[in-house]
Amino acid sequence: MEINELKQIVEALLIATPEPLTDARFQACLGEGEIQLPLTEIIAELQADYINSDRSFFIKEVAGGFQIVTRAEYEHYIKGLFSKSGKLRLSQAALETLAIVCYRQPVTRNDIESIRGVSSDSSLRTLLDRKLLEIRGRDEGPGRALLYRTSAEFLQYFGLNSVNDLPKLREVEDILVEEQDDLV
Amino acid sequence: MDKNHRIDLEMFEGPLDLLLFLIKQDELNIYDIPIAQITKKFLTYVLLAKELKLQSAGDFVLMAATLMKIKARMLLPIEAEGDDEIEDPRTELMNMLLEYKRYKEATANFAELERHERPYYYHIPINWTPQQEDQTAILEDVKLYDIMLTFQYLIKNFEEPATHSVAVEEVTLSEQVGYLNGLLQAKAKLSFSTLLEQFNSRLIVVVTFLAILEMLRNRQVKVKQTKLFDDLLISRGNQFGN
Repeated sequence: MEINELKQIVEALLIATPEPLTDARFQACLGEGEIQLPLTEIIAELQADYINSDRSFFIKEVAGGFQIVTRAEYEHYIKGLFSKSGKLRLSQAALETLAIVCYRQPVTRNDIESIRGVSSDSSLRTLLDRKLLEIRGRDEGPGRALLYRTSAEFLQYFGLNSVNDLPKLREVEDILVEEQDDLV
Repeated sequence: MDKNHRIDLEMFEGPLDLLLFLIKQDELNIYDIPIAQITKKFLTYVLLAKELKLQSAGDFVLMAATLMKIKARMLLPIEAEGDDEIEDPRTELMNMLLEYKRYKEATANFAELERHERPYYYHIPINWTPQQEDQTAILEDVKLYDIMLTFQYLIKNFEEPATHSVAVEEVTLSEQVGYLNGLLQAKAKLSFSTLLEQFNSRLIVVVTFLAILEMLRNRQVKVKQTKLFDDLLISRGNQFGN
């Protein structure tokens, strides 16, 4: 198959895909007997085309796959499509809860609350409603508390390919050293 | 009262956040927190707060109590037993503060990512679900949370009448499991909402729902849903009949 034909197939898949397009899914769509070419190579060619022809969108690698995204300069116009003025922002409480789940997953509500020192019920509910978190099983311990994890939507929301892309949490020792330095 | 105190408690995410702020403001050593001083400041803030949301009020009061407990323990003479090292009563608080600080730093990072991602719109946005005629085609993997929400939504139609006569209704979980088994033997698919139509009490609905959850756990049934709040479609699982 010509590279041009493959590019068109990938473009069509990107338009229609309900979730980030992965290499595995792409190969499955092609079916057997087709020329096997890694998705990333075809994406790179498509991306170059989009940049050269100055399109209003580009391909973004997110949540382990690829998706089409509009360029930032069109935000002003796109906002008009939605009844609320663009995207809703998460509260500080929700962001804190999300950060704890992200770095400690799978995690129970109790774990979250003992780190934050405040009740986190409503934050958790908001995050579940917005599908940024999901329930994945139960804790083995007494009470069999629900375990929370971040979802694929979480990765998309923060433009991440995987949670491993995030910087590591600072070690407690580093914070202590800094605190001491600040005092001098 | 100096006007530095006039800061709204709403600004803080909780007592730990407030303590970190007080430590920074007074340039205190987190490794050697002057408990008397910080307790006094902490209480000033809590007492000055005109209105505290009931939920967070409890968290602040609990911390105030913890601080006073630490303060009291530090006043007590320490009797060392043997060579055992006496633990500083402030250690646990310090660890909590440091742990919270790690995640607070990470939170700033997420806020920055959120701001950065704001102008980009995905061709298929978050939470998009295709509209399909075939009700069973998608969302094979219904999440527990979705099922709970759907149940909450469906059971609203089963408000108990204001007055009612008391009759003993006996319905057990195993009865309902048996009942569902029988239905599924005859029909490959059941709709939860149609199932509910024949029941006239909340109790039976709840027990039936529990029976479905029980069977789901044992893989005797599968539950599918096309979108949130939509009907639950129950079919035979791979352990059906066992």
